[in-house]
Amino acid sequence: MNELIAPTLPYDMMPRARAAIADVHLQQFVGRATHLKDEQRKSVFGADFGHDDYELLRSVAATTKQQALDQLDVLLEQFIERAQAHGSIVHAAVDAAQACAIALSIAAQHEAKYAVKATRCVKSKSMLTEEIGLVDALTRAGIETVETDLGEFILQIDNDAPSHIVTPMIHKDRAAAARSFVRVLGSRYTEDPEELTAIARAHMRGLYRHAHIGVSGANFLLAEEGTAVICTNEGNFDLSVGGPPVHIMFVGIEKLLRGARDLAPFLKLLARSGTGQPLTVYTSFVNGPRRAGESNGPKELHIVLVDAGRTGILGSSKRELLRCIRCGACLNACPVYRKVGGHSYGSVYSGPIGAVLTPELNRGAARAEGLANYPDLPRASSLCGACLEACPVKIDIPKFLLHARAELRTRTLSPASESRALRLWRWLAQRPMLFRLAIRASRLHARMLGQNDGRHAWISNAPGPAAGWTQSRDLGIASAQPFRAWFVQHAAERDAPPKEAAR
Amino acid sequence: MRVALFTTCLAEALAPRSLQATVLVLEHFGVTPEVPAEQTCCGQPLLSNGLPEEAATLARRMCVIFRAFDAVVTPSGSCCAIVRERFADLFVHGSDDHRDALALAARTFELVEFLETQLRVAVPTTSAPSPECDPSMTCHDACHLRGIHRHGCTAPFLTAFGCRDVRPLPDMAQCCGFGGMFSTQFPEVSSALGQEKLAHVATTGASTLVVSDTGCGAHLAGLAHRQRADNNSAAAFRIISPAEALAHRLGLLAMESIA
Ligand code: SF4
Repeated sequence: MNELIAPTLPYDMMPRARAAIADVHLQQFVGRATHLKDEQRKSVFGADFGHDDYELLRSVAATTKQQALDQLDVLLEQFIERAQAHGSIVHAAVDAAQACAIALSIAAQHEAKYAVKATRCVKSKSMLTEEIGLVDALTRAGIETVETDLGEFILQIDNDAPSHIVTPMIHKDRAAAARSFVRVLGSRYTEDPEELTAIARAHMRGLYRHAHIGVSGANFLLAEEGTAVICTNEGNFDLSVGGPPVHIMFVGIEKLLRGARDLAPFLKLLARSGTGQPLTVYTSFVNGPRRAGESNGPKELHIVLVDAGRTGILGSSKRELLRCIRCGACLNACPVYRKVGGHSYGSVYSGPIGAVLTPELNRGAARAEGLANYPDLPRASSLCGACLEACPVKIDIPKFLLHARAELRTRTLSPASESRALRLWRWLAQRPMLFRLAIRASRLHARMLGQNDGRHAWISNAPGPAAGWTQSRDLGIASAQPFRAWFVQHAAERDAPPKEAAR
Repeated sequence: MRVALFTTCLAEALAPRSLQATVLVLEHFGVTPEVPAEQTCCGQPLLSNGLPEEAATLARRMCVIFRAFDAVVTPSGSCCAIVRERFADLFVHGSDDHRDALALAARTFELVEFLETQLRVAVPTTSAPSPECDPSMTCHDACHLRGIHRHGCTAPFLTAFGCRDVRPLPDMAQCCGFGGMFSTQFPEVSSALGQEKLAHVATTGASTLVVSDTGCGAHLAGLAHRQRADNNSAAAFRIISPAEALAHRLGLLAMESIA
């Protein structure tokens, strides 16, 4: 798998974060796109619903999804039964390896059924397939897989990896795409988005026709109907499911909803939160393979229900994380994501949700260390709360960041010097006299060290734990009288008898 | 009504003028704040950095220290939000501590919020004592005010309060990058965000940046100071708290010149 989204563990975030901040192009592309999408999200919700109805919609969606998760076992059974009744073949995979193995065994049967060996696969966008490393598994088995989402396609030909769950090539621009098209497809150089799309389309139409297998994910599974719902903007899903004789759909078990009756709030929220569109351009409902008399659709429809750490989360205090509908709004709203970009998170899932979900998925997987593999992720946040405010299903990401930070301390995965300093702080804070003395002493010390401009003593080269501060900023210690001393004086004057005060 | 000033450790260490201003403004509106001597730190650094049990001991102290007061007022948006949003969850639900924490949360207010929603103060009828006391301003609100639905409220309040020239800050919603210990753990990210904030402030041309949290203010002031040390032509503006802006406007506190 691509090292960018599946790095060697434990993962050290700092080198990539530093490189991202120094990368002017990345700063420009990611900054611009995230701000734009974030503004579009706010304005479309404001225009279409207004504040109160939007809040109501979020609450409904959050509760609906949580209730679905709370009865996931029942919904899974129901879905499997209904989907099978439609003629779909349903598989269950406990982990990534098993999910990939299922795909390979389906491919292995291809020749016997269709008299041709499966060697070509078209895939529409799915974060889960990235998570399980499906394309690599198929490639190793001699099956060439082409990404059909335009962004993912460009990343694929560049040997790059998605850095955003909705806008995978957010870290690149059109010029980069144009260069890659010239290099790989031999097309003429153009930066015109329509022309670029036309070139990609011409290239892909042929691939769809000749592919043996189509692969996709799904946004929602409707238990009562046995239906999968897929939201895309490019219509590539419909081609990948319409052309090849075999289609395999990989879906995380958390995607279940009770049924179509619960779907509306999610469709209202998903595209608006992600891109500011009222709906994605295509919303496809898949009820099973091609039936007798139908002219298109796959002959075989496989649905692979993937756990890969999800039941572990379901059984924990973090089950709320499984509400996520992967809209990407929290990434767009996050100040840190805007600066460090998606690849800094070392995972398929980046940004705020990635910071909390990645270690949990890792923990859920066999033998995995969870937070020990990603000790930086929960710390790389200013806890500004923009993610919670943006999240359509109200996942309290800041709360989970705090929980993760607490776990880092108990498992001694965060620096011991920090823990010692914080505990000393607590000890002092329980002793008011000492506490004030300590503040005074450090103020005095700082004022002796600093450069005094009359109003502040400025320190530009602090030692110890404050060194991180003065690396890029000065520390200003106000020269004004300490507040308590001022207040004692002030209160004495204020509370003095009027006669005295008048004197 | 007995009102306590919740000073916060950071403001005592770094922003004594902001605390003075808070006292003067409250007194101007007929409230005589008391300053309980035993208060130290509310525990936010512990809570935010993975030590909830240690934070709980300090939260419990806060509940005791402020028990006798009808209202607890602080100029620091972030510390206020911590008391309001996170204190109760530090204790077993239904316990006495939990009840005390909820009660403290219900009585704790950020200064501007207290003036606007509790005291419902009237707009001053006199104009500012001098034009310097009512400078061109732009406001950045502490992100933690989101949690108590007060994010973005400072600028409209100052305008309603009769501050003549309050300018909108582009992209106010984005964090300034302070984030407590985050600022020293990820200094590059923190500073990049702070520099972006300062650049937005510079585009407003305002002479004064009003920041509703001590930590965010110190971070931005420190960045601005370093910027000017590196490059003399960088825009200069003063950074103050909402309390100071109000105290200046009312003529209770002399305005300091821009460094
Ligand atoms: S956590 Fe919320 S905002 Fe972030 S991707 Fe998931 S649903 Fe969207």
